[in-house]
This record gives sequence, structure tokens and C-alpha cells, in this order.
Amino acid sequence: MIVLGETGGAVMSQGKVPTERWAAARVAANAAAHGFSGSSEYDDAVRDRAVYSVEAGLSFFHTHAEGLGLILFFMSTIVASAVPWRRARAALYVLLGLGSLFPLGYLVYGVAVLELGRDAGIELAEIWILTPLGSAMIAGLIGLAVTLAVRSRRA
Amino acid sequence: MNHAWRLPPLWVVLVAVVLIVCAEVGGASMVRFRIELTRWARGAMLAHPGVHGLVGVRDVDERVLDEALVKFDAALRLFHLHAEGMGLVILATTTVAATLARARRSREAIIALLTVGGAGYPLGYLLWSWLIPYHGIERGKAIAEWLIWIPFGGATIVALWWLAGLVVLRLVQR
Repeated sequence: MIVLGETGGAVMSQGKVPTERWAAARVAANAAAHGFSGSSEYDDAVRDRAVYSVEAGLSFFHTHAEGLGLILFFMSTIVASAVPWRRARAALYVLLGLGSLFPLGYLVYGVAVLELGRDAGIELAEIWILTPLGSAMIAGLIGLAVTLAVRSRRA
Repeated sequence: MNHAWRLPPLWVVLVAVVLIVCAEVGGASMVRFRIELTRWARGAMLAHPGVHGLVGVRDVDERVLDEALVKFDAALRLFHLHAEGMGLVILATTTVAATLARARRSREAIIALLTVGGAGYPLGYLLWSWLIPYHGIERGKAIAEWLIWIPFGGATIVALWWLAGLVVLRLVQR
């Protein structure tokens, strides 16, 4: 996840112009999904907003992938060191592992905005990727906190 | 098989800690010396009117100066953000390399690339912020890109993909 985050950052910086060009071409290819009206002023504003959303998606992917890669690394180390029950450990690994895939939702967000239109694309990424994976991470972290609390009460 | 993480070399830990310290100090300085920094940058920009396209008309010049000052401030913020992040990335990834890279030479090379690349990259933002008043936003960015971001960021990306490949190899060999 960290290497994907780093690479995404480099693409954002070095490939800014080609990315914008590709995004604008995809918006034009999916004109109906973006509600183009034929008025160039309105269509340009819609295209700019969609391209901006793609750039925001890439930027969020970069920052979240770096951050969640580190969170997974440190939290799973705590799980391995401080959770003595095998099943609880396995469940926490699964939740944290799934949760660490959360940043991929922002890549889906970027592509879906271009293919389905801004609102439908954001809704798809939020409902099907970001919310479930984010919830898995939150559940994993709460589970770890509860496990640590139980252990510290017993100690 | 030993399941404990192995510590990276001490110099690597030192570099990561110093980088995080620099980030913290940078963040604090940005807040504490905000006015002084803005005043310095503005003064340096006014001393190089040609670089910023200042024409001597207050309405026009103020807008140009404001934009450059926003970028100057953003570059300092990005230094703070990236130095904090890369300090942690160095600690985490070199720990993985120290534990999972078996061959001594590749382990040392990966650790060196991760440390040098990770510690050098954020300095590019510091350089950019310093260059903006003297060379303008875009030229300053281009200089920082070629001197710092591309070589140091490139070193980190190469090392991370190399490390990811080694981890995949270890998983396959299990």
C-alpha cells in the first residue's frame, strides 16, 4: 500500500498533464453520464469539476495509502505482540487487512466519476468501497482497543 | 522461524528520528514565525520584481504577491507533512527490509535507498519555499524537482518496489 501511495504521488506530480488530458477525454466519451448540454460554457464547467474530482481522488489515494500502510504495519505488530488469543488475532488481521485497502476506493472514485458522472461515481465509490473498507478498519481498531482494555484489566 | 521484527541499523533510526524532529520544529516555526517568514518572502519578492512579473501597479502586484505567498506557505506545510510521514515510512519499511531481505547486499542497498530517499525528499519542499521569492513559483518548483524530488523520490520508489518484490518472493517460497 505504501509503494502504491508513493507511486500515486509521483504520477500526480509528473503525470499531471497527461492525467488531466486522459480525464477530459473520458468525460467527453461519457458525455451523457455527465449531463452535457451542448452549451460550451456549461459543458466546460462540468468537465473542469469532473477533472478536479479525479485529481482530488488521486491526492486522497496518495495520502491515505501512505497513512494506512503505516497504520496497518504498526497496528498488526501490536496485534501480534499483545493479543494472545489465536482467533481474535486472526479476526483482527482480517479486519485491519481489509481496512488497509480503503485507499483503493479513491482510485475507484476517480475512475467512476469519469465513467458514470460525478455524483453517481462518488456514490458508487462511497457505498461499495469506502464505507465497507473504512468500517472494517474502524471495527478492527475498536476490536484491538477492546482486547487491550480486557488484557490490561486482567493484568 | 523467528517472528520478531529486526531493528534496522541505528543510523537509520537516527535519520528517521531527526527527520521527524525537523518536521515538528518546522511546523512549530511556521506558526511561531509566520509573520517574519511572510515579511522576509515578500521583501525578497519585491527585490526581484522581474522574476514575479511585478509591474509597479499596486492592484496587479498585490495579487501576484499573494499567490506567491500562498505557494510559499504551502511549500512549508508540505515540508512539515512529508517529513513527519517519511520519518515513519523510513522506520516501518527499513524494519521490514531488515527482517525479510535475506541477502546482505540487497538488504543494505534497500535500506540505504529508503533512508536517503525518504530523508532527502521532504527537503525539496523546503528548497522550493526558499526558491519561490528568488526564482518564482514554477522555476523554483522545476529546480526542486530536478535536484531533490525526482532523485530522492525515485530512490524511495525503486527501493519500495524492490522490497515489495522481495516480500512477495518470501510469501511464494513459504
